[in-house]
Amino acid sequence: MRQHNRRVFNICYRFTGNRTEAEDLTQDVFLRIYKTLASYRAAHGGFATWMTSVTRNLLIDHYRRTKRDRATDSLDDAMTVVENKESTARRPDEQALLGELSGQVQSALTKLSPELREAVILRDLQQLEYAEIQRVLAVPEGTVKSRINRGRIELARILQQMGVRPS
Amino acid sequence: MNWTCEQTELRLSDHLDGLLTATEQHEFDAHVNTCARCTPLVSSVTHALASLHTLPQIEPSPRLVYNILDKTLGPRETVTGWAAVLAWFRGMNPQRIAYGGVSFCAMFLMIASFTSFNWKKPRVADLSPVNVYRGADRQAHLVYARSTKFVSDLRVVYEIQSRLQREDQLPSGQETTTPQNSPEKNPGRTDGSGPTSPKQQNRANDLVSHAVVLAAGCPALWELWEGRIR
Repeated sequence: MRQHNRRVFNICYRFTGNRTEAEDLTQDVFLRIYKTLASYRAAHGGFATWMTSVTRNLLIDHYRRTKRDRATDSLDDAMTVVENKESTARRPDEQALLGELSGQVQSALTKLSPELREAVILRDLQQLEYAEIQRVLAVPEGTVKSRINRGRIELARILQQMGVRPS
Repeated sequence: MNWTCEQTELRLSDHLDGLLTATEQHEFDAHVNTCARCTPLVSSVTHALASLHTLPQIEPSPRLVYNILDKTLGPRETVTGWAAVLAWFRGMNPQRIAYGGVSFCAMFLMIASFTSFNWKKPRVADLSPVNVYRGADRQAHLVYARSTKFVSDLRVVYEIQSRLQREDQLPSGQETTTPQNSPEKNPGRTDGSGPTSPKQQNRANDLVSHAVVLAAGCPALWELWEGRIR
């Protein structure tokens, strides 16, 4: 468990962007694994892939459950973004101090749709192969490739909107 | 084959993951280098990917493992009393404890021996700070006196050896143990000539007596000394 909890936690954290939620979800993942361990079949892939699959399912459940809360939050976020844009227009030095690249990338990541987000996280952060992602997401390989491609392009577009441009 | 902007966008991930064939890569590059729309697209996605790769691994809090164990295996049993003490000792490194214990005992023995602590008849009064200080002071003076005596003895031995070597180097006709008068009558001469003043004579006598005492303690030196006298 000690071997896997860091990886599961990182997937959850990158998906939710919230440390507390990520820890709660990690606990739920291990609880689910503990309860359904008997259903694991080595023929369907490695244990890590199965664990990632359980994590992904719980993340999607969590996303659907908290959709309404996020709709309210997104309005607040939009207002904050507008305020930030105004303030950063006046104080670029503050923006440089406050906006670190990793924070901006994490913020951009959470703005992606869940389908694209999970594909990008599994491919570019967890370094999974296309075949493993295909097993985790239970979709054809073409769909996996398409989601990863669209996710990357969308992420680049969001980062550009946030003012993060290639140097 | 002319590569289009749509193809570039569709195959962008293949390009980034290095999955394009050599021909496809050539056509991809040829299009991107000339297309005003695709050049910034490729640049921005490459930058986004590089930014993603810079994201660090986040460490979960240490209590997460215990929370998971509590949730899966149930709450841990609370251990109290001697069992808790034993569990605490079990979690420690025995090698480090042994090393620390030996170091502590060695240090205590050194300090106790230096303060002349009587191991045969130990008394509580010996551990009082005043007695410890007195014992340490006495030991320090003893060590100083012994070391002074040792240095002095070494010096005497060295002087005797030097004198015997000097006599060896002299011609056989001049071999004598009787002090000779210095031709120049200079006190404190070091040229092998005998003492010229009563003070020097006394010192020479003193050296001879020291040498006899030391030679008596060492048979080899005694034989050497006897040979010189004869």
